[in-house]
Amino acid sequence: MLQVQNIEKYYGNKNNVTRALDRVSFDVEAGEFLAIMGASGSGKTTLLNCISTIDTVSAGKILLDGVSIADLSQEELAKFRRERLGFVFQDFNLLDTLTVEENIGLALSLNHTDPKAVQDRVRDVAQKLGIIDILGKFPYQISGGQKQRAACARAMVAGQSLLLADEPTGALDSKASKNLLEIMSAMNQDMGATILMVTHDAYSASYAGRVLFLKDGRVFNELLRGERGRSVFYHEILDVLAALGGDVSDVI
Amino acid sequence: MTLSKLSLRNAGRQARDYLVYAVTVVMAAALLYSFNGLVFSQEVRQLSEKMNTLPLVIVLASMVVVCIFGWLVSYATGFMLSRRSRELGTYILIGLTNKQVARLFFLENLAVGSAALVLGLALGGLLYQVLRAILFAMFGLSYHFALNFSLPAMGLTLFYFALIYLCALGRSRKRIHKMKIYDLIYLERQNEGVVIQTGKLRRRIFAVSIVLGVAGTAMLMAGSLLIGITGAGCLIFALFGFFLSFASGVPAFFEKRPARKYQGQNVLIFRTLTAKLATMGIVMAVISMIFTATLLTEGSGLVMSGIFRGRSVESACFDLYFGIEGENQDPGPYMDYITEHIPVEQSVLYQVYLSDQPQVRDYVSSRTVYYCYNYDQDPILCWSDYAALRSIAGYPAVEPEPGRYLFHCMTYLEVPLRDYDQPITLGDTTLTPGSVYTEHLSQSLGVTNGRGYILVVPDEAAEGLAVHHLAYAAKTLQPVPAEGYDALTDIAYREYNKQENPLGYGFVSTKANEAAQVAVQTALLAFPMFYLALALAMTAATILTIQQLSETERYRSQFTLLRKLGVARQEMARALGRQFAIYYAMPAVPSVLIAAPFIFHLARIPEPGVMVGMNSPGIIVIISLGIFFLIYALYILLAYVSLRRNVLSQ
Ligand SMILES: Nc1ncnc2c1ncn2[C@@H]1O[C@H](COP(=O)(O)OP(=O)(O)O)[C@@H](O)[C@H]1O
Ligand SMILES: [Mg+2]
Repeated sequence: MLQVQNIEKYYGNKNNVTRALDRVSFDVEAGEFLAIMGASGSGKTTLLNCISTIDTVSAGKILLDGVSIADLSQEELAKFRRERLGFVFQDFNLLDTLTVEENIGLALSLNHTDPKAVQDRVRDVAQKLGIIDILGKFPYQISGGQKQRAACARAMVAGQSLLLADEPTGALDSKASKNLLEIMSAMNQDMGATILMVTHDAYSASYAGRVLFLKDGRVFNELLRGERGRSVFYHEILDVLAALGGDVSDVI
Repeated sequence: MTLSKLSLRNAGRQARDYLVYAVTVVMAAALLYSFNGLVFSQEVRQLSEKMNTLPLVIVLASMVVVCIFGWLVSYATGFMLSRRSRELGTYILIGLTNKQVARLFFLENLAVGSAALVLGLALGGLLYQVLRAILFAMFGLSYHFALNFSLPAMGLTLFYFALIYLCALGRSRKRIHKMKIYDLIYLERQNEGVVIQTGKLRRRIFAVSIVLGVAGTAMLMAGSLLIGITGAGCLIFALFGFFLSFASGVPAFFEKRPARKYQGQNVLIFRTLTAKLATMGIVMAVISMIFTATLLTEGSGLVMSGIFRGRSVESACFDLYFGIEGENQDPGPYMDYITEHIPVEQSVLYQVYLSDQPQVRDYVSSRTVYYCYNYDQDPILCWSDYAALRSIAGYPAVEPEPGRYLFHCMTYLEVPLRDYDQPITLGDTTLTPGSVYTEHLSQSLGVTNGRGYILVVPDEAAEGLAVHHLAYAAKTLQPVPAEGYDALTDIAYREYNKQENPLGYGFVSTKANEAAQVAVQTALLAFPMFYLALALAMTAATILTIQQLSETERYRSQFTLLRKLGVARQEMARALGRQFAIYYAMPAVPSVLIAAPFIFHLARIPEPGVMVGMNSPGIIVIISLGIFFLIYALYILLAYVSLRRNVLSQ
């Protein structure tokens, strides 16, 4: 469903160019759980931002269902983000003034979906993600793990087809991380969500079905999980990371 | 949840987070409404014929005020926009269009503005009563509280508010339309760099700004429009140069003196100040400019009302007075009118004599600033007339002093005249100096009881002296009505024209007319000045406070950390207090340094004897600063209380 073709991204001016992405290409199939790994500064966030239309590429093309996202107008982009993309960030993008329920349902209700239907869908998703009890609370009243689950709920409540997550476990403790990752796997397997997750953490990546390794803005390696168990996959990821460079300690 | 519901909720939060701003917007509405009340009030226009120009003056002033508040609202909304960029970015991220976000923000501000307008109108109703009470008191009328709302005034206020908000929101709408989601989410504000890099350049700019500042202040006082405008330009340059170079110099200062940096809470204060150097420098310069304008406007207003009052009190001591000089000093036409139309309780018709030589005048001129025209010799009054005048003016009787002459003078001449020890000789009588009295006795103008001073001599000593003019003073049963005053001035004018070579003027004054004149002048000139000054002061203080309070988060995390590191609460409160003091003192200091000498100078311009007592230049400066700092202190207090509660609580 997603095709990334030879994209490049430069930062800075003529004298001082940072090449954050260097001819990156890959495809994502519908229903896939893809992790993108790399050391800090390797271009992961930049890549995700380009896909999520937050940022624009300097060269190359990104196609979603065959449509180049660079060709979309402002209005179409908004509609596209609303209906196709869901976001989960490291530092929770929930609005402080809204309750969890309102946060999840905001995009839906602002676009004139019938209020009753909004509520039903929010409750339905919240039920699946185990946050039904905290729907009435405000973000500052809940834990980091709950916030991330709320963000996940928001990312799929409108039936979005692609969930983009940037270091979703970055601010969570190991228990909450595990919980979130399991929920994401369930979203992928049981609800058919396509997930693209950026992480520097091998443990998180081991939940994915495929791992793409970035180094200095280039795709360095690719690892498929296939039928192997998670812990085997985890160790394979660690091996690739070791090969990637001496900075394993930084990555883990 | 609909867009408007979300806007409404955000509006509530805005009012809470930017309480000081919200309060100022309410006050702005109140201020505009109350002055609009004056524009449309029939009653106020009937106070005097000359009040007809009041609506025009107020509307002109209101336009300036609208610009001032428009700038404030525009600044505040822009500030909120950048403060809330992450929130706005999130809206776009989850699929709102920029247009929708702009609508959201527009509705939110519209809600705050409308709520402020409604509250402001209610408050303005009360404020209008205060203005009305002041006006009535100035015209010597009794005031009755009557709360009534004027629809036209409301309409005009609504119109002004629409102008203010549409301009400001139009601008922010444009900004939102152009916003890129990436910038919104990732442009977390960083510490700003130093604007002026090298020490040498910085010191040079600093020195130049100080010189320009002093020169500008001097030019402002030169009294010529062109030089004054040049001076204002110099001052603007000076303020920007001063704050930018000063702000850039702070880090260098502390880097070179590590001992000072780690002394007490300095490092905290220093880091807070340097975090936003560039904006800080510019904001401080702009605020300082507005403060200077505030003080200048307010000071000018005070000086004006001081002049009006100072000039009139002297002439307002008699219910009715007229004086006639020139070739044919005939009180007949005046007296006929008075006898027929004005019931008099007590009166005296008397003459002001002249001595042989101007010995006292020469002495006074040598001792102090004295405008000596109109009398070529010293003016003299005889004792019995003087006693009658005292009684008519309502002053206590004084003992006659045989063989001596008394002085009756305005207060500015009291000291030199008390020092005067020369005898005077009139014909063959020689008199020695006696007491000095200083009550108001109509001594500031020509055809009155001397200019600034008069000598009072025993009746027999005055016999045979040359006459300077004829005068009449009376205590009336009722205040002399305006028609009476007009009729008498008409007579004076006719008499003047009857002379063969018109030289001598007739001069008429009544207590009632003086009061009305002061009231009219104050209402027309001083009122609008205070109106402007208030709007300026509120705007500047609000912007400072918005800036300051937006740092609450930063302070809170800073102080939480410090507490964990074991710093005592008291210590932290002190650091906060000091930081606050520096922050609020900085823009005020240059303004005071520029405005105080200017106001002082302005208050010294009128002829001597006007700006005395409560109107003396020093006191006017103190009152100007006092009123300004009172308003300022209110905002500081509001900000401090809110910051302390948010930062130091728990
Ligand atoms: N706005 C920017 N301006 C300049 N350089 C940037 C910017 N954003 C990212 N970079 C650079 O691009 C590279 C990739 O950054 P990023 O995608 O954030 O890495 P990651 O998410 O893998 O840690 C880094 O070298 C970073 O310094
Ligand atoms: Mg990153």
